[in-house]
Amino acid sequence: MSLRAAIVGCGKIADAHVEEIRKISSVQLCAVCDLEPIMAEQLAVRCGVPRWYSDVAKLLDEEKPDVIHITTPPQSHLSVTRQAVAAGCHVFLEKPVALHHCDAEAIVAAAIAAGRKLTVNYWPRFEAPALELRRLYETGVLGDPVHVESSYGYDLAGEFGMALRRDPEHWVRQLPGKLFQNVLDHVLNRITPFLDDDQPFIHAVAYCRDASADQAGRSELLDELRVIIRGAHASAYATFSANARPIGQTLRVYGTKNTAFVDFMARTVVLERKQTFPSALGRLFPPFLVAKDYLRQGLKNVNSFSHARFHFFDGMRRLLGEFYLSIEQDSAPPIAYGEILRVTSMMERIFEQVYPEVQV
Amino acid sequence: MKVLVTGAGGFLGVHVVERLLAHGYTDIRCLLRDRAKAARLLALSELHPGSQLEFCYGNLRSKSICAQAVADVSLVVHLVAGMKGAPAELFADSVVASRNLLYALEARDSMPLAQTRVVLVSSFGVYCVASLRRGARIDEMTPLEDHPELRDTYSYSKLRQEQLFWEYQRKSGFELVVLRPGVIYGPGGGAFSTRVGLQIGPVFFHLGGSNLLPLSFVVNCAEAIVLAAGHPDSAGQVYNVHDDVLPTASRYLREYKRHVKRIRSIRLPYFATRMLARFLEGYNRRSQGQLPAVITRYKAAAAWGGNRFDNAKLHSLGWRQLVATRDAMAQTFEYLQKAEALRP
Repeated sequence: MSLRAAIVGCGKIADAHVEEIRKISSVQLCAVCDLEPIMAEQLAVRCGVPRWYSDVAKLLDEEKPDVIHITTPPQSHLSVTRQAVAAGCHVFLEKPVALHHCDAEAIVAAAIAAGRKLTVNYWPRFEAPALELRRLYETGVLGDPVHVESSYGYDLAGEFGMALRRDPEHWVRQLPGKLFQNVLDHVLNRITPFLDDDQPFIHAVAYCRDASADQAGRSELLDELRVIIRGAHASAYATFSANARPIGQTLRVYGTKNTAFVDFMARTVVLERKQTFPSALGRLFPPFLVAKDYLRQGLKNVNSFSHARFHFFDGMRRLLGEFYLSIEQDSAPPIAYGEILRVTSMMERIFEQVYPEVQV
Repeated sequence: MKVLVTGAGGFLGVHVVERLLAHGYTDIRCLLRDRAKAARLLALSELHPGSQLEFCYGNLRSKSICAQAVADVSLVVHLVAGMKGAPAELFADSVVASRNLLYALEARDSMPLAQTRVVLVSSFGVYCVASLRRGARIDEMTPLEDHPELRDTYSYSKLRQEQLFWEYQRKSGFELVVLRPGVIYGPGGGAFSTRVGLQIGPVFFHLGGSNLLPLSFVVNCAEAIVLAAGHPDSAGQVYNVHDDVLPTASRYLREYKRHVKRIRSIRLPYFATRMLARFLEGYNRRSQGQLPAVITRYKAAAAWGGNRFDNAKLHSLGWRQLVATRDAMAQTFEYLQKAEALRP
């Protein structure tokens, strides 16, 4: 069975969608669409997509795609999702899901009511280190989770950061949670599998450490965020930093048996085990054991590279593969809707605390 | 005559404003994205009594900013272009921004479009050179790129930007002058054009060899723009912009090493660059993009194929090189050397 896919929204992330869609042999990318015709045209020409549109309704009517990838800013996610599912399309939605939690609920409800499948591009959940961590947890190696620390570094001097800094009307500035709203999905997504509470206690603190970074002269972008989360059985600490160097993405899960440390940039998962050597030997050997673990992880990565499985968006490829398979087999989509809504709910509670003046 | 300079705070923009003032233009509106850039321009205007600089702050992605910027101007010098970033950002900054500017010009009530002159600063990147033989001469009659998808995104965005201006010119009838500079360099600019080579990790791959570099010192380039903007015969014309005396890529790199910084470089002859490009393309395809094909055979032919250049048409306007190449390179390397010294 061959599925026809189309992309709505031709900004930066659309390139990644084109690239990953093309790795699925059963999917044909038939068209791209953007309200701004120039943006639709450039993506189609650069990537050799057969047709481009500037009107979603026309795209849906003429192309009749099976799946729509929505890569527009989140302000339009609800309306485009409703259009897409009404036309019989399944939806692959780019994060952030929506402006508000209630919009996310409406998006999920629209997909369910239309009998279409929906998932959100929470690709870091499907990266190799995240899958390895899940295996350690599910096989009982970690024991019960006690505490989780998720840290996310961001480069405001990078491609996306510079675009945001220069443009006073950038769509990210219009979000209730501004810069945090565009990345916090990934931070929380790494925590929620270890918390089973729907409404954990959340305390968030944010501040602007480097006001000069905001070249548009608005100085409204907070660039540091700390969040404490307390569930019934486990707690978590989330860090977002645009100033700490080097820029990293790490996760440490403290379990009742062992602790796991994941470095998502270096793609390593290392287990910190209970020490069994006696006396001074117990202080002598651990660095060598840790070095051995890292060596093993490095060789594993070399193996992945040599088999061309070491792409930046490898997690997205896996997620897309599972999503399209769920459509073909009419099975459950890869991320439970309840899990998506749990993340959007937590995000909203964080933004209420750090940007109270912009909440509606 | 009120002149609008978009991108007036940029590397080239400051020199264009200076040259406009030097040529007697007194009423200039500067569109700036960064408010901090206004001080340097004000200092320039103080050197020209009677001149008046007006500032408009914002991004041409905003239609309201465009409307403010074009009010009452009869000459527009459009310098704004995306130079780096993701492909979508380059297109938004170069092409969407230009389209917004053209919309705003069309929508004005204050001045008929037919009485407006627009000067676009395009690029050498728009030419279709990959299919030319080595050593072919590039002039204004060289065909435009017909496979933009095979080129770097910057070249594609500049091509689309220029096409857009010609489309609007045919529709609206304003006077359009297009300048296509080669590599603009000078104090405040970057050290290396890709025509010299590529920095990959700690090593600089010198790929330009003995090819001539179509350098245009920023002051000389600004002079060309201002001269063409005011010349009665330039409407509807295209001008290539580069200096008269051009160094080779090898000489540029040698001088850089001597005056700025010792760097490790590996020289690859053109045939080896083509072989490397072939390998990278193949690996990129087989690995489904695990490593980007930073060099392709098409891009290699465009960047390092080796061409000769012709600025005779620019000379027909009366342009002359204000700063000699030797002095221009000395000024550039002095700036780069100081910048290196300040680097942490």
